[in-house]
Amino acid sequence: MKTKVFQKAICLILSVTTLLGAFGITSFAAEAKVAPQTNAGSAATLEDMVALLGTSTYAEYAANHSDSKWQKELDEITIDVVEDLLKDSSDAYVTKDSKDCLDSAEANESAWEGFGDNWNNTVYLPTTNAEGTKAGSASWNFKLTDAQTGLYYLQIEYYNPQITESLYGKSSVSAIERKLKIDGKVPFDEASSLTFDKHWIYDNISEPVTSDVQPGDKYQDNGTYVDYEDGTKKNNKKDGYYKYVTVVKDGKKTVTTYKISQDIIGNSMTPDIKEESVWSTYICKDTTGYYDGYFTFLFDEDKEYTITLEAEREPMIVKSIKLVPATGSSAIIPTYEEYLKKHSDKPKASGNITFIQAEFPDSVSDSSVAPANNNSSAANYPISSSAQIFNVIGETGFSSVGQWAAYKFTVNESGMYNIAMRYKQETLQGMFACRSIKLAGGEYGIGETPTVPYVEAQKARFDYDKEWQSENIGYYTEDENGNAVKHDFSFYFEEGVEYTLYVECSLGDLKSYIERAETSLNNINECYLKILQRTGSDPDENTDYKFKETMPEVLVTLLNEAIELTAISDELEQLCGTTGSHLATLDTIARILDIMGSRNGYDIPANMANLKTYLGTLGTWINDSKKGVVMIDSIGIVPADTEEKLPRGKAGFFKSLWFEISSFIYSFFTKYDRMGLTVEPTADSETVSVWLASGRDQSNIWRSMVDAKGGFTDSYNTAVTLKLVTANTLLPSILSGKGPDVYMGLGAADVINYAIRSAVIGVSGNDSKVLTADQNVVFRSYVYENSAGEKVFVEKIDESNAIYRKPSGSGYVNMTQQEIDAFKANLASYKQVSLPYSAIKNSFAPAATNALQLLEVSYGIPMTMGFAMMFYRMDVLGQLGLEVPESWDELLAMLPALQTKNMSIGVSYISALDFMMYQMGGNMWKYTDSSIYDPLYAGSKIDLDSDIAIEAFEFICRLYTDYSFPVSFDAANRFRTGEMPIVIGDYASIYNTLVVYATEIDGLWEFCPLPGSDNEFEEDGFNYDSLATVSATVILNGCDDLLTAWQFAQWQTSASVQAEYGNRIVAVIGPAAKYEAANLDAINDMSWTAREKSAIKDQMANLDSIVNYPGSYIYSRYMKFAFLDAYNDGMDPYEAMMSYIPAINAEIARKREEFDLPIAETAEDALRKVKASQYD
Amino acid sequence: MSGKVSKADANRPVARDEMSKLAWTWKEMKRNKTAYFMLAPFLILFIIFTVLPVVLSMFLSLTDFNMLEMPGWQGIKNYTRLFLEDEIFMLACQNTLIFAAITGPVSYLLSLLVAWFVNELAPKVRAVVTLIFYAPSISGQVYLIWKTLFSSDSYGWANANLMKLGIITQPILWFEDANYVMGLCIVVALWTSLGTAFLSFIAGFQTVDRSMYEAAAVDGIKNRWQELWYITLPTMRPQMMFGAVLAITNSFGFGGVVTALCGFPSVGYAAHTIMHHLDDYGGQRYEIGYASAIAVVLFIIMYGANVIIKKALAKVGE
Repeated sequence: MKTKVFQKAICLILSVTTLLGAFGITSFAAEAKVAPQTNAGSAATLEDMVALLGTSTYAEYAANHSDSKWQKELDEITIDVVEDLLKDSSDAYVTKDSKDCLDSAEANESAWEGFGDNWNNTVYLPTTNAEGTKAGSASWNFKLTDAQTGLYYLQIEYYNPQITESLYGKSSVSAIERKLKIDGKVPFDEASSLTFDKHWIYDNISEPVTSDVQPGDKYQDNGTYVDYEDGTKKNNKKDGYYKYVTVVKDGKKTVTTYKISQDIIGNSMTPDIKEESVWSTYICKDTTGYYDGYFTFLFDEDKEYTITLEAEREPMIVKSIKLVPATGSSAIIPTYEEYLKKHSDKPKASGNITFIQAEFPDSVSDSSVAPANNNSSAANYPISSSAQIFNVIGETGFSSVGQWAAYKFTVNESGMYNIAMRYKQETLQGMFACRSIKLAGGEYGIGETPTVPYVEAQKARFDYDKEWQSENIGYYTEDENGNAVKHDFSFYFEEGVEYTLYVECSLGDLKSYIERAETSLNNINECYLKILQRTGSDPDENTDYKFKETMPEVLVTLLNEAIELTAISDELEQLCGTTGSHLATLDTIARILDIMGSRNGYDIPANMANLKTYLGTLGTWINDSKKGVVMIDSIGIVPADTEEKLPRGKAGFFKSLWFEISSFIYSFFTKYDRMGLTVEPTADSETVSVWLASGRDQSNIWRSMVDAKGGFTDSYNTAVTLKLVTANTLLPSILSGKGPDVYMGLGAADVINYAIRSAVIGVSGNDSKVLTADQNVVFRSYVYENSAGEKVFVEKIDESNAIYRKPSGSGYVNMTQQEIDAFKANLASYKQVSLPYSAIKNSFAPAATNALQLLEVSYGIPMTMGFAMMFYRMDVLGQLGLEVPESWDELLAMLPALQTKNMSIGVSYISALDFMMYQMGGNMWKYTDSSIYDPLYAGSKIDLDSDIAIEAFEFICRLYTDYSFPVSFDAANRFRTGEMPIVIGDYASIYNTLVVYATEIDGLWEFCPLPGSDNEFEEDGFNYDSLATVSATVILNGCDDLLTAWQFAQWQTSASVQAEYGNRIVAVIGPAAKYEAANLDAINDMSWTAREKSAIKDQMANLDSIVNYPGSYIYSRYMKFAFLDAYNDGMDPYEAMMSYIPAINAEIARKREEFDLPIAETAEDALRKVKASQYD
Repeated sequence: MSGKVSKADANRPVARDEMSKLAWTWKEMKRNKTAYFMLAPFLILFIIFTVLPVVLSMFLSLTDFNMLEMPGWQGIKNYTRLFLEDEIFMLACQNTLIFAAITGPVSYLLSLLVAWFVNELAPKVRAVVTLIFYAPSISGQVYLIWKTLFSSDSYGWANANLMKLGIITQPILWFEDANYVMGLCIVVALWTSLGTAFLSFIAGFQTVDRSMYEAAAVDGIKNRWQELWYITLPTMRPQMMFGAVLAITNSFGFGGVVTALCGFPSVGYAAHTIMHHLDDYGGQRYEIGYASAIAVVLFIIMYGANVIIKKALAKVGE
């Protein structure tokens, strides 16, 4: 007995000491970890990440709403947005007095156009707080009495201002997004991102022209008439494709003209789009499309509640917030049956069908919902075999849930109508896509905001066919035999009332299937990770992992999901009546799951790799199913009793044949190089010729930006010929003297390569001592001003090649020889006011401008700038309880936790080698410090043999050898499955990939600046540098009008133009086309979220670049060789690196001799002299 | 035409040795002007696009042309540098020769043997089998499948299997490891080598006159080898020559595939061939003069190999 007590005591003491010891160690560790948190603002905290794991879905939230005690009559509750606003804790500005709001919000007055008399009692919610450090948020308090508790909809009346100048976030192309919190907590997942639509209208609608109806006029009777006129024929002077809306009323007619203009060979050009600020009403609903109707919120206590709207994107103005009772209110959407009952007394309308050509929307939700050309059927209207005329909407960019296009129409007879569409749905094989039909005007909608007239109108179904179809739209039900029965929608429209028809992307009947597939995907993914954590990425087929004993639940899940996927596929097949390759995908995945789940998991190891691939396939399947594309050619408002037939879906045989033949013949005569040009190019030197090597969309955007009102041509009175070329045409064109004046997007290495061979013109330069006359053509440009305010612009290559200009009107004229002489004589009275480049140089990161410099002369203006950032999976890190690493030490410290789960970190060794050296304070080149060395010697020797460089190199080698970072990996796929929760790479390209490719992990990842390295040179201890990859706009040698070329280059790289381009490209191609503008100010106006913006800006403040010098191509290959020697053959990193240093230096010396630059040996001689002179 | 010729002869009977060689050529050319006229379209294009560039590059190899500026005269400096200073070039030559020495003959013999076997099959089967062997070389970039098989990722086919068998514990960077690069490239080269030459061999086998085998059998041919050596191969000498020329150009000019598989330049220059060296200087360093010198050397090596092959082929059947 005694011994037992003794044992217990000893045990107790031991365990206490162990515990204490552990505490001691951890507390010590915590102390040691104290480090300056300079990038703390942009990375998510552990609490954020853990919080992400705990939220529930709306379905879970709404589960207890069905309780009958909430089915009670309630009154509407209005929250006074001004009085109830919690001013102290909100970043919001009350617009009680317009001046007050303008001052406090610093907004440009023009942004408030259309705001009208609404100044009183609205609240302006900016995107960020006053300091611009975090997302702006606003909270309101309201009190409920016991009688008022119950279920409510949340209705918000809002306005989308166009803020062009503000410290707290400007407007961009994105929709408004807010996070809703009730009592400081997001009530359910879906509420964390509520999307408030903006209105966009195409800038192709003229002001209405009113005149008296003349006796000879086409339309005499009261009513609305629509005509279309297409300009397909090239020679009859039609300059576009028109829609005329004529409203005749009491002897007056009002004509509104819509126009899609065309280029000189007849191709339609996308009309400019502009945001329209309007008051809209929003009732909280699901942005992803999974839940029909509106969200109901339960307020079940008689207490004071707080509602918070936290900004995700874009500023907004709120006029009212209402709690609308969810039972018995007008906001409830009726069923089709109820709707028909309500209108059972209405007659069927008769008469002719009103056709709306879908390519002329009156407004759209997104700038990517754009008219497009589709020549796949000769029956599309209009159509031309020689040109591409816009004739449909929805070719691209009109497929995400919530996007809509709106069409105004009126009918000439009251009664019941159907709606018909001529459409094509060829993306979801064997399945259907859904659209929701919303209406505004007359009895429909809340104010101007549209609503669905009945529940079923949310699931208009568009079946798959590779041909065009033309039919009344409707929804489907199943009859008792399980066959699909179609019901055409009918609507009541009243004569003379203006209605707006909204065609909105929705999930309709697909919703439940997609949701089930998504749940399946998550379950399978979980299984995959569990298996992976046990077996590693390469399970041994011959090992018995005893899955049945260790993880029986995984086997069960696999089998269940196999059954589930088969069920989804079967049900969809039943629903659509056909099957297709799109559905077969599900069966294939189900088969693999079935194999893996049976036989006690014996076949799991052999199929792991397959499973990983299929996880990706399933994700893509879900993504595709959500984004069924429906192209619409025309919409018909069909009187229920009409005699008129719907147009044909498929074109007639002979019509098609003739169309194909004529298109083929025309294809020989089309001048493709004239595409997108609006004026015939002339050989006139007053035009700037600009080349760019990118896609057609990009080129079209630049074209329209140059031509737009306030664009380059407009402001500088200079025409621009813009040519789309392939990347490798520039060199031959320079060689043959047919090159352009300006080239957009030349990589930094090429800029230096061309510069050193005198092919590009320097955009800055002082009379640099280092340049010989024939070495470089330096474009020096000065502006002189005398005391009388007369300005002289001088651009000179040298004295004999100088251009002198003076301002004249809005442009410039060359000065006469007399004037030049006079100017030279009086030079002393003039003051040099600016060197043009130095004036704009500060809008770029020094890293970007340095990369384009050679011998202190800049040879291009930075256009794009990419750099690596760190992407992390918040859910995975949250689950493991790991913080986002701030430094490499922290990153390595969390490695064991990841590796025990068979997870790893993804970073490419090539980029790691580079940025690590700079993080540690090194440099690629010797003699770069111009305060010590003559700039002539900069870059004459590689600095890879310095202590810092070797340390960085050894560190990176260790990451791959000792810490087993994978050298080669598919980052997107591994990040998606979660086995690589941290990936480092170029921010825009990874972001763009993840946004389209891995939608199932939306909201589960973020990115932040790179982890930092301990750096003795850095004052605050850590250096977070990433390396910039730059491309530039350059002016080429042979350009005959330097000033104009310079003006173009400067215009094109300015912040506003770059931001507009970045926004437009996102608008046209979608969220996966984020543009890496080099101009630092451009990022403010681009469509990143507030968090993303602050992360990017943080990294932008920590950038470096490897400057190019003659022979700089050589180091990267030898660095790679050295790394591979160390990795493959286990060579000592130091030895490996040092063995290549002589070869690198020899090549650099050889290259420098080619350009008559002093080589390192002379550099060292010179240095000795410099040092000696210092000691003298 | 022969009528015209005889008329001309009759009018001006001049003997060959009465005039200079040049004058004789000119006279002959005038006499055969129709033939030259008919040749002209090809000849003009051939001269402009083939002869001229070759001559031009020989000229450029004596300059320091950099694509953008006026070339300056260098004399034979480029060549002295190439042979005396450029270590990488020597490595490239060595790689190219190893490569050519293995892939050239092996692919040639392989083509020949496979063609011989395939030729023995029934016509319909032959068509199918021919397609199977020929497919890799017509399917464009299909060799990239090797990149998947030997992916450096631990999920790559070869790595995954080797790791499963316990032979390795860490993925091998196949195409980034100097130990494997050359071997793999040779294998891929052989795999894609059953190309046009192989087809021409099959065609060649079918042109052999059957009656010759019968005659040979009467003359005492003992076995199939003798038949192949004494009858078949000598009869199809033109096809063999064609195949040989292709094999040489292919094996010396095998650059694109290596770049696609191993990147540029290959690790430690392990699979750096003369073609790559040419790319390096012409494309990356803008030293067209020097690159031209490399091209000229490559041209001479290929021409030399051609002469040797010709001589060797003449011995077939002896």
